Amino acid sequence: MAEAAREIPKPLPQITPLNQPFWEGAKDGKLVMQRCKDCRAWVWCPRPVCGECGSDSLEWTPLSGRGKVFAFTVIREVVGHALRGFARDIPYVTAWIDLDEGPRFCSNIIGCPIESVRIGMDVQVTFEDTGQGVTLPKFKPV
Amino acid sequence: MTAQIRRRCVVPRKRKPDPFLFFGFRLSALPHARPNDEEVAGVFWLHGQPAIQSLAPNSPYRFFQDIALQALLARASLDTVRPLHYGCGKPREVTMSLRGKAAIVGIGETPVDRLGSKPGEPRKSTAEYLAWASRIALEDAGLTIKDLNRQGLAAIYTTNHSQPFWPEEVASIVGFTPKVALAGGNGGASSVSVLGHSAAMIAGGVVDLVLVVAAAAPFSERGRTRAEPMDTRDFEMPFGVMGPNCKISFVKSRYMYESGMTDDHFGKIAVTCRYHASLNPAAYLKKPMTVEDYKNSRLISDPIRLFDCVLPANGGKAYILASPQRARSLRKPPVWLLGWGERENPSAGPRYRANPLITGIAECAEDCFAMAGVTRKDIRCLNLYDDYIPIVMLQIEDLGFCKRNDREFFEKTDFTFKGDLPIQTSGGMINCGQPSTAGGMLHVIETVRQLRHEAGARQVPGIKFGIATGLGAVNYGKNFGCTAAAILGNEV
Repeated sequence: MAEAAREIPKPLPQITPLNQPFWEGAKDGKLVMQRCKDCRAWVWCPRPVCGECGSDSLEWTPLSGRGKVFAFTVIREVVGHALRGFARDIPYVTAWIDLDEGPRFCSNIIGCPIESVRIGMDVQVTFEDTGQGVTLPKFKPV
Repeated sequence: MTAQIRRRCVVPRKRKPDPFLFFGFRLSALPHARPNDEEVAGVFWLHGQPAIQSLAPNSPYRFFQDIALQALLARASLDTVRPLHYGCGKPREVTMSLRGKAAIVGIGETPVDRLGSKPGEPRKSTAEYLAWASRIALEDAGLTIKDLNRQGLAAIYTTNHSQPFWPEEVASIVGFTPKVALAGGNGGASSVSVLGHSAAMIAGGVVDLVLVVAAAAPFSERGRTRAEPMDTRDFEMPFGVMGPNCKISFVKSRYMYESGMTDDHFGKIAVTCRYHASLNPAAYLKKPMTVEDYKNSRLISDPIRLFDCVLPANGGKAYILASPQRARSLRKPPVWLLGWGERENPSAGPRYRANPLITGIAECAEDCFAMAGVTRKDIRCLNLYDDYIPIVMLQIEDLGFCKRNDREFFEKTDFTFKGDLPIQTSGGMINCGQPSTAGGMLHVIETVRQLRHEAGARQVPGIKFGIATGLGAVNYGKNFGCTAAAILGNEV
């Protein structure tokens, strides 16, 4: 059973012209997001225009990668055919991380026992190579 | 209607009928038009009247549908019309009124099943549930399918069955030729969203009957793989986000953190819902439960428990909306649409860091109460979209029935049908089943039952006004992308 589960792939992001700079940044070990040149608001997830002022003058901007856990959950069951590949990781933590610069990012908290994850916990980005051409930014306690 | 509104909106002027003219645009001439856009989209002139055919949910020209609706609202001599704003910033605050412009005259609900879970359950397909629910609604209204020809249809897309021409296929399945086909593409919010859209069509004089219908049979038909929004596909699924269970867990965990609500608070709501289900012959889960049962139910995605979650099922639901004149001539007492509001892609705070504990229902409620001219004290029944228990509580806050994070309110209030503020009198989708996006129609149907005083053992005494809400899609980093609310009443 365990071996069969290992063969089921996990879903990967579809790299599009819109989100490509983010994934290229992640491959280089950098967390980058769009920021509006006009109103300075962050834009996340990737969008063609600023969600606050409507400007299309956006630039990809590096972030420190530090933030706090805003909310989290411990995944205990697979729901949905497309996500069966995660069965081997259960239980694991997914979280909303509020980055110090502002945007909220959804990722996993790794590198600590799941019981120790708390709302408000300081976390730092770490990059995990999937081995399939995509690097995922994940977070670990500071 | 004033000249001012005429100028502000795109109002159709007299033109020669051209079936493919879309306010001066030919859709096929626009860049990226899909081959079928011309046929499936836009406002057509039929017999000198504008008629809307809805766009496919994935069409790049979906926003034209809104323009079309704006034009119809303007023609309908509505008080004021929301100005168009595609972009950002705070919209100008205006209200429009659909108050008393349409009434629900027929409701239809098939039994729900989970195929094999109980002996003797029917084995039916989506198409059969659609036709079945429509027939029950027609019988309830005292109409026949022939009465619907050249009237309106609003068909709701389901998560894994519908193809891009869904409203037309639904017309073909139900067996009539509508003059207007609206699409509900707002997930679970659709049945409340299209209530307003259909009322606008009626108020505009385009049609005087609209059949709103939805069905799904996820247990008996293998659906196609569901297409996911790009944020989910690219930035949630690769991290193992398990759909709405996981995303609402984020919301619940934050809600518990900020409000101090415990499983006792959530359990009380779950127990109330099950109690009402035990009084509803159409409910699926009827065995009474206790707060302890709730607390002992297994964790699916901490802190979401099994008894927080909605119950997927097969089934179909329908209702029929009519013009005031038509409504008064039919079998059942009309249940009037008095207030309505919808918000799509709402965000409490900046879009990159929204407050996930405020849903678009808060803004819908403002529209609803302003339009209906009633107060919260007048409302005797809340039928709230209940994909998860904590979401019911957030909506009670959003609707303004208590303060934010008001633990004491949730502890002291009797939410049963004979109590202070009856909620979920049908038992909710959590106990009556959720046939995909058709599930949310339960709340419209239950509100109608209550207002007709047809709710039997769970009838709220003396009720005159009730609220039904709808929610759909859970957006990245916040809560629901599609939100709608309506106030219904048994008098205008």
